[in-house]
Amino acid sequence: MDKQLIRLRINGEVHEIALSPNRLLLDALREDLGFTGSKRGCDDSSCGCCAVLVDGTPMLSCVALAASYENCKITTVEGLGGPGNLDSVQEGFAEMGGAQCGYCTPGFMIATKALLDRNPNPTLDEIREALSGNLCRCTGYMQIYESVKYALERHGSISSSVRETPSTQAPAVR
Amino acid sequence: MADGVSQNGFSIIGKPLAMADAVAKVTGIGKYADDLYVPGMLIGKILHSPHPHARIRSIDTSRAEALAGVKAVATGNDARNPYGILPIGHDERALALDKARYIGDNVAAVAATSAEIAEQALDLLRVDYERLPAWFDPEESMKAESGWIHEQRPHNIEKEYHHVFGDPEKGFAEADFVAEERYYAGEVNQAAMEPHSTLAIWEPHDRLTVHSSTQVPFYLHRTISEVCEMPMSQIRVIKPLIGGGFGGKSEIIPLEVAACVLAKKSHKPVKITYTREEVFLAHRGRPITIVYLKVGITRAGKITAVQARVIQDGGAYCGYGPVTVLYSGALLGAIYDIANVRYDGFRVLTNKPACGAMRGHGTVNVRFAFESMLDQLAHQAGLDPLEVRRINLLKAPCITANSLRVTSYGLPECIEKVFERSNWKEKKGKLPYGKGVGVACSHYVSGAANPIVRSNMPHTTVHIKIDRDAAVTVYTGASEIGQGSDTMQIQIAAEVLGVGVNRIKLVAADTELTPIDLGSYSSRVTFMAGNACLNAAKDMRDQIFAAVAKKLGCPPADLVAKNDRIAHSTDSAKGVSFDEAVAIALEFHGALVARGTYAPPESARGGNFRGAGVGPSPAYSYSAQVAEVTVDPETGHVHVDKIIAAHDCGKALNPLTVEGQIEGSVYMGFGQALQEDMVWQDGRLMNPSLLEYRIPATKENPQIDSIVVESIDPEGPFGAKEAGEGSLAATIPAIANAIYDAVGVRINSVPITPDKILEALRAREKAGQRAETNSLTPEARP
Amino acid sequence: MSLPQFRILQPLTLDEACRMLDEHGSESMIIAGGTDVIPNLQMRLFAPRVLIDIKPLRELAKIELSRDGLRIGAAATLTHALETPWLGEKFPVLSSAISTIAGPLQRNMGTIGGNLCLETRCRWYNQSKFWRQSLGGCLKKDGDICHVAPGGKFCWAAWSGDSAPAFLALGAEVEIASAAGTRRIPLEKFYKNDGKDRIALARNEILTAVHVTASMSGRRGVYHKLRVRDSIDYPLAGVAVAMDVDSTGVCRDARVALSAVNPAPMLVRAAAESLIGKKWSRELAEEIAHVAIRTGKPLTTSGSTPVYRRDMVRVFTRRALEEVWNSAQQSS
Repeated sequence: MDKQLIRLRINGEVHEIALSPNRLLLDALREDLGFTGSKRGCDDSSCGCCAVLVDGTPMLSCVALAASYENCKITTVEGLGGPGNLDSVQEGFAEMGGAQCGYCTPGFMIATKALLDRNPNPTLDEIREALSGNLCRCTGYMQIYESVKYALERHGSISSSVRETPSTQAPAVR
Repeated sequence: MADGVSQNGFSIIGKPLAMADAVAKVTGIGKYADDLYVPGMLIGKILHSPHPHARIRSIDTSRAEALAGVKAVATGNDARNPYGILPIGHDERALALDKARYIGDNVAAVAATSAEIAEQALDLLRVDYERLPAWFDPEESMKAESGWIHEQRPHNIEKEYHHVFGDPEKGFAEADFVAEERYYAGEVNQAAMEPHSTLAIWEPHDRLTVHSSTQVPFYLHRTISEVCEMPMSQIRVIKPLIGGGFGGKSEIIPLEVAACVLAKKSHKPVKITYTREEVFLAHRGRPITIVYLKVGITRAGKITAVQARVIQDGGAYCGYGPVTVLYSGALLGAIYDIANVRYDGFRVLTNKPACGAMRGHGTVNVRFAFESMLDQLAHQAGLDPLEVRRINLLKAPCITANSLRVTSYGLPECIEKVFERSNWKEKKGKLPYGKGVGVACSHYVSGAANPIVRSNMPHTTVHIKIDRDAAVTVYTGASEIGQGSDTMQIQIAAEVLGVGVNRIKLVAADTELTPIDLGSYSSRVTFMAGNACLNAAKDMRDQIFAAVAKKLGCPPADLVAKNDRIAHSTDSAKGVSFDEAVAIALEFHGALVARGTYAPPESARGGNFRGAGVGPSPAYSYSAQVAEVTVDPETGHVHVDKIIAAHDCGKALNPLTVEGQIEGSVYMGFGQALQEDMVWQDGRLMNPSLLEYRIPATKENPQIDSIVVESIDPEGPFGAKEAGEGSLAATIPAIANAIYDAVGVRINSVPITPDKILEALRAREKAGQRAETNSLTPEARP
Repeated sequence: MSLPQFRILQPLTLDEACRMLDEHGSESMIIAGGTDVIPNLQMRLFAPRVLIDIKPLRELAKIELSRDGLRIGAAATLTHALETPWLGEKFPVLSSAISTIAGPLQRNMGTIGGNLCLETRCRWYNQSKFWRQSLGGCLKKDGDICHVAPGGKFCWAAWSGDSAPAFLALGAEVEIASAAGTRRIPLEKFYKNDGKDRIALARNEILTAVHVTASMSGRRGVYHKLRVRDSIDYPLAGVAVAMDVDSTGVCRDARVALSAVNPAPMLVRAAAESLIGKKWSRELAEEIAHVAIRTGKPLTTSGSTPVYRRDMVRVFTRRALEEVWNSAQQSS
C-alpha cells in the first residue's frame, strides 16, 4: 500500500512522516520517530506498556493506527520531562522504587499522569483502579503506589491515607 | 564480617537510594535491546515447528531466498554445534537439525529488510516433516520404551538423583504422626514485561557485536563462540537495559543464536524480537512438578523424617534441568533441623517447550508441598503451625544433613516478626468462617558455590580505575536486570572510598570493557559481585591511603575515607580532599587501577556425593510469611487481603530495593498460587498471551507488608545476602494454609482456582462433614 | 506481528461512511477504538482491504437523554459512558457492566458499538496464525473441525462482551444504518447465537446507536462478572439484572441476561414471568438462578471449566437479584 504523508503532534512538536496506512502509532513512534520510551509488551492490548496520552487521555498506542491520530496531541514518556526537568510523576517513580526493570514504567507513568491531572487527591483504591490496565512484573505494585503518592505530594495535595486505605475488593461473605 | 568494615557509621550503605539508572528509565532515554536501531539493520524472524515431535526430512528455502528483500535464510545446517547452559546438557540447537521436539521448536530463520517481508518469507519456506509419537505427560513419558525424544536419554529421563541422609526409616518409626500426599504444581512462565530481543552486528575484521536481553552475557559469549565457530576474542556481548528476567533470560535463548547466525551469513546487523507468544514458546519457566511427599513428626512437633519423590516435566531440552531437580532436593529439608531425608528426583523430557531456572529455582514447588504438609501435621498433632516451625529451627552456624554450611540464620527473627505483625495469636483459628491466616517459610541460596563450568577461576572480577578527573569508574561484568545490581556496586564503592555516589561511574556487562561475572541468576550478584566490588574498592583505597599517608607522614591505618576526604581518623583537620588525594596517588603510583575478585570458600562448596554440587552456597536467605485471606465458600473465590513477609537478607545495602525485591517475589508467588497456569493440550499451549496467562494486575493483588531482617552474614559484603528470590516460595503455601484456616479444605494443587476449592468443599459436604460457620478451628468442626 | 495491508478511509459523515460500506462491502471493516480489531488483524483472523474509521464521527459519539429515552452513539467510548454521571444513576446496570470491561486504558479507546459488535471468542480461535495453522484451523476459521465439540457443525465461540447483557436487561434496541436508510431492531434480535455468524448486520450496514426506552430509567440493576483478574479479563460468565421494584418491595418488571456462556448474550426468558408480582425471597431467587442455568450452555471455550461457569451463573443470578432487591429496600 502506498504511504501517505501524516502529521503527528508529539510532545508539542509537529512531525511529518510518510507512513503506510497499516502503521501502528507505537511503531511510528518507536521506529519512524525514535520515541522508544513507549514499549511493546504484549500483542493483544492487555499490558499497557505502550500507553501514551492522546489529548490528555491515556491510550494504547499498540492498537492505534497512526493515520487515525493525525489531529491529536500525543504525549509520550519523553514528553513528560527529561533529565533536569523531571515531572513529579517521573521523580516519584525514580525515587520510590516504582521502576525496577523500567519496561512497564512509561505506561504506568502515563496512566498516573492522567489520573493526577484529573484527580489530585486519589485514594489507594482510585490509584489501583486507574492503574488496573497496566501490568508490572517486578514490583508487586506496592512501590508503584508509593511512587504515585510521592508524585501527588509534590503536586501539592497530600493524601495521608494512601497506604492505609483498606481494599474494597474483598468479596462479602455471608 | 568482611575485614576492615564495621557495621557502624555508614554513609551510603543501608540508606534507601534511588536506582542508578532510574532517571534513564523514567525519561525513556534508557535503551533496551529492541530500542536499538542501526543503519542497514535487518529484521529476523523464526519459523517454528507446528508439530510436537517430528523428523525434519527436508527444508526448501529456495522460494524464500528468492523473495525481494530477503538477505539470509538459515537452517540447522548453518549452526550444527549443539549447546546448552550445562556442560552435561548440550542437546539444543538454535535451529533444529534433525528433529523438531515441541510445537514452537525453531526450524529456520530469515533476515529481511522489513518485518513484513521476513514474515512473508516464513510463509514461503517448505518443510517436509515426518510426524513422530509424542509425550506430554511426564509420568507417561518415563514409561516410553522407544522413540525417545533424545536418543541418548533412555525412557525420556534427563537425569535422576537418589539421596539418603541420616536414617529415614528410623525417623519415620519415631514419628507420632506421618502424612503422605501427592502435590501438583502447574507450569508457570517468567512473563517479564520485555519480550526477548537480540541485535547482532557483523563488524569489520569479521567481528561480531551482540546486544541482547540476557541475564548471562558471559555464557552467551561462550555459546556464540561455540555455535558460530568463532573465537571468543572476535565476539563482543553487550547487555543493554533488561526489562525483567526472573530466569527467563538466564540461559541461551534460540533467538540469540539465530540472530548471530543470520548476521554472520548476511554480513549485516540483524535484530530479532520475540512476539509475546514466542516468549512463551522459548519459555524456560518453572516446570510442572509432581511431589509425592511423606513427613513424620513427633507429638511435640519435631520433624523426624522427610521423604520426597519429585518428578519435573522439563520439556524437550535439558536446559538447567538437572540443577532444578537437585535444588528441589537440596533445599527441601535444609531450612529446618532435619536429620533424616530421602530424596528421589527425576527430570523428565516431554514434547513441550523447555523449562528453566525461574525465580526461586527448584525450591518453589517442593516448598509448597513441604510447608503445606507441615501445616497439616501440626493440625493433626494439635499444635500451632507457627510453633512447629519454631521447634524445628537450625542452630546456626551449622552444617545441614546434606552438607550445606549455614553461616547466618535469620529465620527465627523472621518468624517472630510475622508472628507479631500479623497478630497471629489472636487470629489463627479464631477468625470467622471464610477468613483465615496461614504461615510458611522459605529460604534460598546467595549464589551457587560451585560454578556451572567447574574451574578454580573467580566467579566475579571487578576493576576500578581513577584518573586525573578524580571520577571513580567501576568496571563490572554483573548484569543489572532491574534488581539493583549497578546501584549496589556503586554504593559499595562509594562507601569504601568515602565519596558521594555521583562520583562513581559504572560500566557493566560489556565483554569488551568489563571483567567477568557469571551472570544474574541464583541470586548471586549482591554476594559475589558485591564482594568483588568491595575487594576492588578496598584495593583502590589502600593504594590511595599509601600515597596520602606518605604525604601526611602517618601510617595508612590511621586514615579514613569519608565525605570526599582522606583524613586522619582522630585528627580530621589533617587530611586532603579526595581530588587532592587522587593527584597525590597518581604522582605516587603513576596509575590508579584496582581489582577485586570473589570465589566462594572451599568450606562452602558442599559434600562429595553425586549431585552435591548443587545447593551449596556461601550463604542462605530466609523468609517467613503470614497470609490473610478471605474465601467465598459459595464461589470458591479467594481474596488475599494481606501478606506479611519478613526476609533475612543479611544486611539491606539498599532497603528500598530490598523491599522492592521482597514485594516482587511475594507478588509472583501470589500469581502462581491463585491464577497463573500454562494450560497444555496435546503439547499445545492454550494461553500464550498476557490476556490469557494472567499475571496479577493491581486490583486483585494483595497488600504486601515487607519486613527486612538483618542477620549480618560473616562473609557477605557488609553482611549482605540475597533478597531477590527467597521470599517467593513461602507465599504459595502461606496462602494455601490460610485457605485451610478459612474454610477447612486443603488444595494440594496450584494454582488454587475457585473450582478446586468448590469441589473440595462439596466433597467434604458429601462426606457429611458439613462445616458450621463461626466454629473456631477447621479441625474442630464436626 | 505485523498487520495485513489495507487502506484506511476516514468518512466525514455517517452518510459517507454508509456509501463507503456500500462500495467496499465484504472487503471492508469498521474500526473505531481498535482494541478488538487490531489484535485480531495481527492474528490474521481476518484481512479486510479497507478499514473505515468511524472514530472521528462526532454524530456517532454522543450520549443523550431525551423524552424518548437514552441514546448512546456507537462511537462513544466506554469511558465516556462511565463518566456520564446521570447514566449510572438512571441505568445502574449499564455502568455496573461497563466498569468491568478490560481496564481504563482499553475503555478510553473501546466504544459502545465495538463492545456490542465484539468478535465471539474461543481459545481455539483467538490465537496467532502460526498457532491456528499448527492444528489446521477450526470451524470458525480456516478449518472444518470444531475443537470444542468435535464432530459438531456448530461454532460455540462465546459471546464475551459485558455491556450487551446489561442492554438486554433494559430491553434496548439498536439502530442500524446503511446507504438504504436506517432501521431499528431489538438488541435481542441483533444476536444470532452462532459463534461464526454472531450479529445480524449486513456487510453494508453499520451499527450507529443503542437505545433504551425512557420507561427503563430508574430501573435498579447490577452486573456480576466472573473473571480471574479484577481488570483486563474478558468475562468467563456474566449476569445482568434490571428490575422495577415498587415501594412495597414487589417486582413490577424484571429482566435477567447472561454473557459469556453462549455464542450470544442471552435473556433468561422465564425469569421475568416468575419474578413479576413477587416479593423478595431466597427461594424465589434460587428458583430464578436455576432457570438461568438452563439458559447458559458454556463449553470449554475459555480458561475455566463449563461446570464452574454454570455454577457461577446460578450464584451470580441469585446474588444479583438479592442486591437489586436490597437496594430497593434501602431507598424506600
